[in-house]
Amino acid sequence: MIRINNLTKTYGDFTALDALSLHVNEGEIYCLLGANGAGKTTTINLLLGFIKPTSGSAYINDINVVEQPKLTKQHLAYIPENLMLYPSLTAIENLDYFSGIANKKFKKGELESFLEEAGLQTSAFNKSVAKYSKGMRQKVGIAIALAKDAKVLLLDEPTSGLDPKASNEFGQLLQKLRGKGVATLMATHDLFRAKEVATTIGVMKDGQLKQQWSVDELSLKELEDSYLETMSYNTLQS
Amino acid sequence: MLRYNFKYEWLLLIRNRWIQLLSILLFLLFGFAVYNGNQKVEARQANIETAVNELKTQEAETLSVLDSLEKGHKVSVSRWRLPSRPVVIGNSLSRVVNMPAKSTAFIATGQSDLFSHYVEPTVTGDDLSLSYTEMTSPVQLLFGSFDLAFVIIYLLPLLIIAFSFNVLASERESGTLKLLASQPIRIRTWVLQKLGLRFFWLVLCICITLIIVFAIFSFHFAANWTSLLVLLAYIIVYALFWFVLAFATNIWIHSSAKNAIALIGFWVLFVLLSPSILNQLSNSLYPMPSRTLMLNQVRTLKAEATKKQDEILDSYLRDHPEYAINDSTQTRNFYHRYMATQNLIKEELRPVVEKFETQLESQHQWAHTFSWLSPALTVQNALNDLAGTSEKDYQEFRHQSLAFAQEWRNFFLPFMFNNQEFKKSDYKNLPAFEFTYKKDATHLRILGLLGMSLLIILFVFVLKPKNKQVNIVA
Repeated sequence: MIRINNLTKTYGDFTALDALSLHVNEGEIYCLLGANGAGKTTTINLLLGFIKPTSGSAYINDINVVEQPKLTKQHLAYIPENLMLYPSLTAIENLDYFSGIANKKFKKGELESFLEEAGLQTSAFNKSVAKYSKGMRQKVGIAIALAKDAKVLLLDEPTSGLDPKASNEFGQLLQKLRGKGVATLMATHDLFRAKEVATTIGVMKDGQLKQQWSVDELSLKELEDSYLETMSYNTLQS
Repeated sequence: MLRYNFKYEWLLLIRNRWIQLLSILLFLLFGFAVYNGNQKVEARQANIETAVNELKTQEAETLSVLDSLEKGHKVSVSRWRLPSRPVVIGNSLSRVVNMPAKSTAFIATGQSDLFSHYVEPTVTGDDLSLSYTEMTSPVQLLFGSFDLAFVIIYLLPLLIIAFSFNVLASERESGTLKLLASQPIRIRTWVLQKLGLRFFWLVLCICITLIIVFAIFSFHFAANWTSLLVLLAYIIVYALFWFVLAFATNIWIHSSAKNAIALIGFWVLFVLLSPSILNQLSNSLYPMPSRTLMLNQVRTLKAEATKKQDEILDSYLRDHPEYAINDSTQTRNFYHRYMATQNLIKEELRPVVEKFETQLESQHQWAHTFSWLSPALTVQNALNDLAGTSEKDYQEFRHQSLAFAQEWRNFFLPFMFNNQEFKKSDYKNLPAFEFTYKKDATHLRILGLLGMSLLIILFVFVLKPKNKQVNIVA
């Protein structure tokens, strides 16, 4: 579903991403851990076509993201760290708009069912999203992904700033999507949530993928220790 | 995508009160501008009407005196003021040679605050004595007129800038751009559609408010529907140009503040600077000869001619044997010498006046050729043409009135040189004047502006994308 081969992005002398290679298959949730500036968001931006790679290649559903960015985006959904919607529109209207411009047309009942599936309270459907919490906005984001029938989900620190309940609900939603065969790549700082939802966890530092584990290989404690060790070891090395 | 953009752009504009605000603002601006324009036109028409009425009163009195004279009654008019003398009729009953306002004159004041709209050529007056310049308040000239052309040329671009400067930057700044850009759309196309829709709604607001304002001010739609369509076409093309500039700015510059500054910069360049630069350049390239020197030359020529009036009259009569008089009781008087001299002066002055006019024409021609550099100037010229208040219209009035002045003099010359009395029956043969507006070809320049707008879109879409990507993550 997601295939990244030796993807590199440099800005002058600075290497933001250094020969990154990873695969995320159908029904897998890959969590990228790492400090700020490790290259997690750069990876997602490259997959979205927001920036162009210096070298290497990336594929979504076997479609090259650089050569066919528009086609790639038909298969993916994206939820940024702080998902913003049009505050003057309701959740239904936002969903209708974002689905519509992606060439997916739905009746009102269908739109409501997507929002319901994403876990948004029915009473909020027709209210302006201006007063929505971050968790509620992210549920609309998930509804957009559901409406789009996206095969790939890209998440950039989606749980930061969420309260534990909302974070837990979000995790459950990801599991639901995983059950539908969606391949998810999630950049996060949240070790606990990563351990909860991921199938694979990778640790990035200085644009490189330093470690990669299957989530079944380690307990949360071991994951934490390995993560800290990876981060500090490399810090000491540098 | 267009269908959804159309539906939700409308909703967003309505909910953000943009459409309501625009409609009210346009209604107030257009309303005040049309009211002002109409006031000026009414004043102009009233001036002409007053002059015509004065002439009618004078005509009635003169014809009554003439009638009494022809019936042999005694009249209480001095010998020199007797209307049987052709020179008296030619000087006192001179026609009101006027330039009536077009029904669209309220659109643009144009040159109407500089020039008078009627002259009264007399038989003894010369072309230079016809004053075409209106006494105008310099303060008003400095600030210009608040007419429809002012609203369209100066204020409409500012409204468009406010309405369009941050279409893309606001998405970036509010955080919706990333979600948008993750959809299978091309951001350039999306921005073009958004601005296209805003252009559509603005044009719709303009058309509706303008028609309402025109209806309030009793515009004759049936008689002037073509003018209305042309006016709307000019506004649409001009608005399109500004939307296209906003489109290019939205694509290339990435923050609302910078976009606003860039667009205001374009406004200063195209609306304020380029017309003034073109004007300065035309003045420098084709400097006008000194008017004072020209008037001095005129005075010298007149003084010389006055000294040689007898010679001039002899020569004139040799050239005009039809004015020979065989009756020894008849003599030549002051006016015979004066009229003969006038013709000579006119001939001798022709090179001086022509030099003046050639330079003026060159200035206008130069400014006209390069007016495409300033869309504001192009539209101002187009609106002035539509309103019949352009520099060309006043030149045309001058030419037609000078031709009439000559016709007026020519009518009286046989009477004067043949020492023939003016009869009441001659009155109906007096030359009459009717001004006709000349057709123009401003539409082509407006098409040029349309072409320029399309070229900018083409440049943004076809040439630039290969080098520059729309910045999503900035």
